[in-house]
Amino acid sequence: SEYQSLLKNEETAPKYTAAEELYTEGKEEDDNGKLRKALRLLEQIEPEYRGKPQGERLVYILGDTYYQLGDYYNAPFNFERFVQLYPNSQKVEEAEYKTAVSYYNRSPRFNLDQTDTRKAIEELQVYLNKYPEGEFVDSANDYATELRVKLEKKAYEIAKQYHKTRYYKAAIASFNNFIADYPGSPFREAAYYYRYDSAYQLAINSFEVLMQERLENAREFYNSYNKYYPEGEFTQDSEASKMEIDKRLENF
Amino acid sequence: QDLPLGDSKKYTIGEIKVTGTTTYNEKTVLTYTGLKSGQELYIPGEKLRNVINKLWSLDLFSDINFYITNVEGNVADLELEIKEVPVLNQTTFTGLKKKSDRDELIDENSLKPGTKVTENLITTTRNYIQNKYKKEGYFNTDVYIQTKPVEDTTGANKVNMLVNVNKGDRVKIKSIDFNGNEQLSDAKLKRNMKNTKQKNIIRFWKRSKFVRADYQEDKTALINKYKEEGFRDARIVSDTLIKNDKETISLKLDIEEGNRYYVGNIDYLGNAAYTDEQLGKALGVEKGDIYNGVLIDERIQSREPNKTSIANIYQNNGYLFSNIDLVETNVYNDTIDFEVRILEGKEAFFDEIRVTGNNKTKDHVIYREMRTKPGQKYSQQAVVSTIRELGALGFFDAEQLNPEFVDPDPREGTLSLEYQVVESGASQIELQGGYGGGGFIGTLGLSFNNFSIQGLFDKDAYDPIPMGDGQTLSLRAQASTFYQTYSLSFREPWLGGEEPVSLSTSFSYTRQFLFDYVEREADKTRSFDILGVSIGLGKRLREPDQYATISNVVGFQRYDLNNYNTGLFTFGDGHSNNLYYQLGIVRDNTAFNPIFPTQGSKFDFSAKFTPPYSLWNGVDYGNLENDPEYQLRDDNGNLIDNNGNRVTSENSVADQEKVDQKKYNWLEFYKIKLAGSWYETLANFGPSSDLVLRTHAEFGFLGAYNSERGIPPFERYYLGGDGLGAFSLDGRETIQLRGYPNQSVVPIDRGVNDRDDGAVIYNKFSLELRFPITLKPAASIYALSFLEAGATYDNFRDYNPFQLNRSAGVGLRVFMPTFGLLGIDFGYGFDEIVGGQPGPNGWETHFIIGQQF
Repeated sequence: SEYQSLLKNEETAPKYTAAEELYTEGKEEDDNGKLRKALRLLEQIEPEYRGKPQGERLVYILGDTYYQLGDYYNAPFNFERFVQLYPNSQKVEEAEYKTAVSYYNRSPRFNLDQTDTRKAIEELQVYLNKYPEGEFVDSANDYATELRVKLEKKAYEIAKQYHKTRYYKAAIASFNNFIADYPGSPFREAAYYYRYDSAYQLAINSFEVLMQERLENAREFYNSYNKYYPEGEFTQDSEASKMEIDKRLENF
Repeated sequence: QDLPLGDSKKYTIGEIKVTGTTTYNEKTVLTYTGLKSGQELYIPGEKLRNVINKLWSLDLFSDINFYITNVEGNVADLELEIKEVPVLNQTTFTGLKKKSDRDELIDENSLKPGTKVTENLITTTRNYIQNKYKKEGYFNTDVYIQTKPVEDTTGANKVNMLVNVNKGDRVKIKSIDFNGNEQLSDAKLKRNMKNTKQKNIIRFWKRSKFVRADYQEDKTALINKYKEEGFRDARIVSDTLIKNDKETISLKLDIEEGNRYYVGNIDYLGNAAYTDEQLGKALGVEKGDIYNGVLIDERIQSREPNKTSIANIYQNNGYLFSNIDLVETNVYNDTIDFEVRILEGKEAFFDEIRVTGNNKTKDHVIYREMRTKPGQKYSQQAVVSTIRELGALGFFDAEQLNPEFVDPDPREGTLSLEYQVVESGASQIELQGGYGGGGFIGTLGLSFNNFSIQGLFDKDAYDPIPMGDGQTLSLRAQASTFYQTYSLSFREPWLGGEEPVSLSTSFSYTRQFLFDYVEREADKTRSFDILGVSIGLGKRLREPDQYATISNVVGFQRYDLNNYNTGLFTFGDGHSNNLYYQLGIVRDNTAFNPIFPTQGSKFDFSAKFTPPYSLWNGVDYGNLENDPEYQLRDDNGNLIDNNGNRVTSENSVADQEKVDQKKYNWLEFYKIKLAGSWYETLANFGPSSDLVLRTHAEFGFLGAYNSERGIPPFERYYLGGDGLGAFSLDGRETIQLRGYPNQSVVPIDRGVNDRDDGAVIYNKFSLELRFPITLKPAASIYALSFLEAGATYDNFRDYNPFQLNRSAGVGLRVFMPTFGLLGIDFGYGFDEIVGGQPGPNGWETHFIIGQQF
């Protein structure tokens, strides 16, 4: 076919034209087939155009084709190369944004390794710092928030698991860290409550000699929950156990 | 910057020419020198010298000269003449017979065609080859390297390299002589030189050779040997190497032994958390002991997890930041006083526990297995066992599990831990086809060891199958012309995620057609089906202690016979159902090495029940034979006897098939089993060499609720031999009794020709002495000797725990993580077996595979 002979063609110029066309059409029509065809051509001719005037557009297209195809490993690699090679290009902002978004897309579900999530937040922050008035500021902010919440959820769930498996001391230590590390998290109220509940469970299941101190400790955690969330989701539960604490403390 | 040298003159450069190059563009060379026409330059001068140096440093040229070709006024024309370094065309070796040796040398020295042949290359190659053969004991290796230009038409500057290696003879050590050693014998010292050995014809597994590096190491080992014996000051005053002839050398070592020292007063300084007595116990050295410097050092500093040392005591109890030193405070006569100076530091607590690298396995699966928790006191032991637990999951590459200490803060007393894991393929696919048993057999097996059943309903989780919840799912199908079996099992180790309560379910279905050996094909009209379903819950108990686990299983099996006589039943048409509940309680506190326990005990109790149907179903099982419905009849419904003659109802005969079908349509039994093992260390011969005695006893009983219905021919005990699982469609249990053939120990009062359908009572006692040969993680090996006795009985009337079949023997076990347990036992049976030759049974050899005893 025409495309096959184009692939075998030694000349680069027709390939360039065809690739650009395929890329534009593919992007408009959301046709991955066309984009994949474009990609093969682009990969072939990219080395030839290094240092030439078309090189700038070509590296950008290459990165964007990967990006459109959902290859979030090759896309940031090429966008980063683009930014390095052509720092004065108009497309730099977009390339940096798409680099960050690629990392955003690489970020796995919260209960797996979050190395890519951290990298994505970092890249999004770099974008936001560099282009405070930029074109993609709103979505970059949304993405960054989403990823931060993901990290918060991870930390919260790990702490919650200690509570669930009845390692209450570990739960308290983890919730303490959580509360210190993530102000303004949507899991904050639950963290306050489960920290209190861990302390409560630890106290009532302990030896007589340790109980008083632990009950008092639990009461302090109750107070801080109650202070921040006087009408919270867990208020009813916490009040019930608080009464139990008070009752037991009377005996000491 | 250009400075004149000596009586130099300043010129302006006119024209510069480059001559002599063949591969480089003249302009390229010129640009590299940085010289330009019109530039001012002292000749000779600093600048010119720098240019020459710069060119030399490229290692591309073997000669560089500047000439002034013409001077007009102060304008000088220059010529740069360079000679390029030749390029390697081919390397030939003489004196090396093996091609692999030659290729290796070419590889290791990168003598590929196209390499620039510099002086440096020639020298390093020569030294490399010489050293290489010296390491192998060829002390007199000579290497000559010649280069010859290649004449060819292209005029390219190429050379051939000719390497002549003359290995000479391997140098052997004729003798090693020691001088000045009075306390330790020559032989003992020679034994401690592990790599440098005297020539000896008998010792063929380690050749005598002399390698300098090894020799240095051996000298250190020699001194360490002295230190172990208390000769703290021992040293090698001088050592001489004498070349006897081309082939042999002699070594002479002058040793100054010094005095043997003894331990004096031991003082502990700085220990607040532990008393002197506690630390003294760990040190294990007392006043008056020989001063074993090596041991004392180990007992103080060693951080190896299994060793007893003061450092480990501190490291396992929170003192990450502790520091321990040994200082000799006083030496008088032959006695040394020393102090153990301890800086305890602050107790350290874990702050955060992190995991990285888990791309598939979810956090909760990993965190629930960890022994290190936030807020917990630091313990080296806990970190080590966490690594072991994570490795045992099988989801990660055990070699690459890496705990990293993050931000250890000695002032706050905190540290965080980051476990770096690398996911490894936890799924197995088995696909087999083969010819056997009269037809094609195909097997398809899939086992997913890190499955996620929750992920089945989440389209994002498919990658390509949902994984990461630590569940096991296996599917297996096997089919041939006369045999099909399908099985599916699923296991969730932490049901609900709160506690390690495991849920296991399994389903299996087998269909077998009678194989007609005459026609060599399956007879599809005659079949035998077995359907099995089970569901079980296992749980680790908190009471009486954490060593106990309990398991509950409910299972159902259905056997369906269609004109098929299996030997399991007296009838060939009909069915049998087995619905049971099984309770198991195990308490296992054996320690420390699961492969070679040295202490503790293990108890195993199990009970298996079926519902007592006969209590309520109203069938008079004892009277079935007299019920006309269960009597032998011909096709027209007339009563007949075994020979087919018509009989009246007075002398009618029972139809055994029908009676048995009625008796076993729902199996009815209960089964109790008890087993106990005790491990005790009898003697200790140093680290990892404990002589251990294992005492073992077990007892099993299968009974019927209704004696008239009787005990079914299922679930019975078969004693004797290696005890490895046999064909167990009928739920039989094979019990090990070494010194006798497999399943041969039948109740003693059985007739020789009786059908062997297993026993209903058995007991077994065993004593085993074990001694480890090596307990390295790569392979654990131990030797054992045993005394055993066991017997089976048909009922309690015959039960006599002293009438046993006895045996004794020896054996060996090898455990390798990749293969599991392998073993061989030789046992001698002292007693006669039913149906065997008169007199003792004699020697039997047993191969043991994968059995954890």
